[in-house]
Amino acid sequence: MVHANRHNPMLPYLGRLVEVKDLATEIKLFRVELLNGGREAFANYRPGQFAFVSAFGVGEAPFGIASTPHRTPMLEFAVNRLGAVTTGLHELGAGDVVGVRRPMGNAFPMEAFKGKNLIVLGGGIGGAPLRPVIQTVLDHRADYGHFTILWAARRPSLLVFTDEYDEWRAAPDTDVHLTVDEPDATWDHNVGLITELLEKVAPSPESAITITCGPPVMIHFVGKVLQPLGFTPEKNYVTLEARMHCGIGKCGRCNLGDKLICVDGPVFSMAQVGALLESFL
Amino acid sequence: MNAMPREELAHWLDRLAGGKTLIAPRDVDGVLLYRPVTSSAEVVWDFTRPVMSIKDAFIPATERLLMIEKTGQQIRLIETLAEGEQVIFGVRPCDARGMKVLDALFLDTEPVDPYYARRRENTTLIGLACRELGPTCFCTTLGIALDDPRDVDVMLTEVEGGYAVQIVTAKGDALLKEARGWGLDVEPQIPDRSDLSTQQPVISDLRSLDWPPYFNDEYWDRLAERCLSCRICAYVCPACRCFDVRDEAMPSNNGHNQYERIRCWDSCAGVNYRRIAGGHNPRPTKGQRLRNRFFCKFYYYPQQYGPVACTGCGRCIDACPENIDITEVLAHVGQAGGSSHNR
Repeated sequence: MVHANRHNPMLPYLGRLVEVKDLATEIKLFRVELLNGGREAFANYRPGQFAFVSAFGVGEAPFGIASTPHRTPMLEFAVNRLGAVTTGLHELGAGDVVGVRRPMGNAFPMEAFKGKNLIVLGGGIGGAPLRPVIQTVLDHRADYGHFTILWAARRPSLLVFTDEYDEWRAAPDTDVHLTVDEPDATWDHNVGLITELLEKVAPSPESAITITCGPPVMIHFVGKVLQPLGFTPEKNYVTLEARMHCGIGKCGRCNLGDKLICVDGPVFSMAQVGALLESFL
Repeated sequence: MNAMPREELAHWLDRLAGGKTLIAPRDVDGVLLYRPVTSSAEVVWDFTRPVMSIKDAFIPATERLLMIEKTGQQIRLIETLAEGEQVIFGVRPCDARGMKVLDALFLDTEPVDPYYARRRENTTLIGLACRELGPTCFCTTLGIALDDPRDVDVMLTEVEGGYAVQIVTAKGDALLKEARGWGLDVEPQIPDRSDLSTQQPVISDLRSLDWPPYFNDEYWDRLAERCLSCRICAYVCPACRCFDVRDEAMPSNNGHNQYERIRCWDSCAGVNYRRIAGGHNPRPTKGQRLRNRFFCKFYYYPQQYGPVACTGCGRCIDACPENIDITEVLAHVGQAGGSSHNR
């Protein structure tokens, strides 16, 4: 039982904030340059994985990684200020040091998605873990079929990655649909819930996969709309969130029945979610 | 017979306490607890089981994971792994089994937890067989015998004239070699335990219980009407391990701001256990949380890690202010299968 050579999984790598910028109301993007050994640990992380980010002195919390290693050596996280750790992070600026632990969890099966038509549904801050999916599809555009992005927020000021929509729209065979519940005077896109937008766009289930990330209630109702459109739960991938304190399957926090979101997820098909004893709602 | 007299055992414990941290049952203001002792004079010899298990010698109720030193924009992290060897005397078979349950998660499932691993590595368990079952004990349901030596390093059993000493592991062997080196007269002996009391299991075949059909049973809400969400059941449990991690500020040191990252015990019975920032709580009712406790012990944990996360120590029955009785839960889930239950 000698484990002296292993990296302590609770010990964060240090990372320097090279940029902190406003993405939306109370949502900031943190760009992290990894320092002590972290670059190696994060060399090959995959879309859908998450990491623990420390605001030292306050605590740490899990965040979906919003970047891809093939686009940037930086790690990027979109953080909505809601609780203690996210408030602690929002108080930091360029030059400050944060902690980052591991790439954690499983990932979207991007290989298995090849050749498929993909429909991505992002709600609010739920768009963050979908950005690596979007970037991967755009950077390997020929590997995937038709690409539809449904992007939603309560208000226009809460939409994330707005400065990237032009890039998304410019990609071949790619549609971007935006919607908000509460439009402002300048809003000239869809109005309503993402489920209404989904019904309106009504993508074909033929050779198609949906990927949904947003609040639990959105995931639930998107699933309800997908069924009559002909999408079986096996074709609807989601990423779930949970309160976690370790990210490595020890602290017990994030169980959904006999699955742990941190190690068995966070990516599940809705068929897998439906087979669980316990509801994620 | 070659029993070790009590005086000789006391002498051994005194020698052990001189070089290592010796943890033993001790009376702390009227409460029996496993606590460090400096001499055998502090040891309580006759007991059923201490109020808390030996768990906190491996996962303390509050444990420092890291020291964080902040100087301007610089951060220095100091890993704090426990140092020093410890010996725990008077370990009951139920508590020893609890460590095996926790090993399955912290040691046998990657990644290994280095804090737990270090303490486990540096600790030797001296077991003490039970003479009889306490009023709430049900270890035999979990397949544990009163003198079960499997999960300790050295097993002691009270016999005529003192204690029979059994070597179980290499660690136990090393401990006895050391004792002989001190001139103690210790000879291994297999005790005769024909006088041991026996107990019918609460459920004859625990592993055969069919839990999923009971998930939507109204029983959980009914049971939860009594539950206070006080979480004491998890804290006294030798097999519960859920924890919380947070940073706490410490007094600053020469202009460095210092914090410690700690983990502390937590329990799925607490209302905020699953609540996330923003307010969503997928397990908002007490019935759902209580159900999770029992499903975890007997259904989820065995599927995830192997062992059942209960050792039949009965502490949660003693500790619950509302008399929620885990054996009643087992009997309830066991009734459909026709398993025998005797409580």
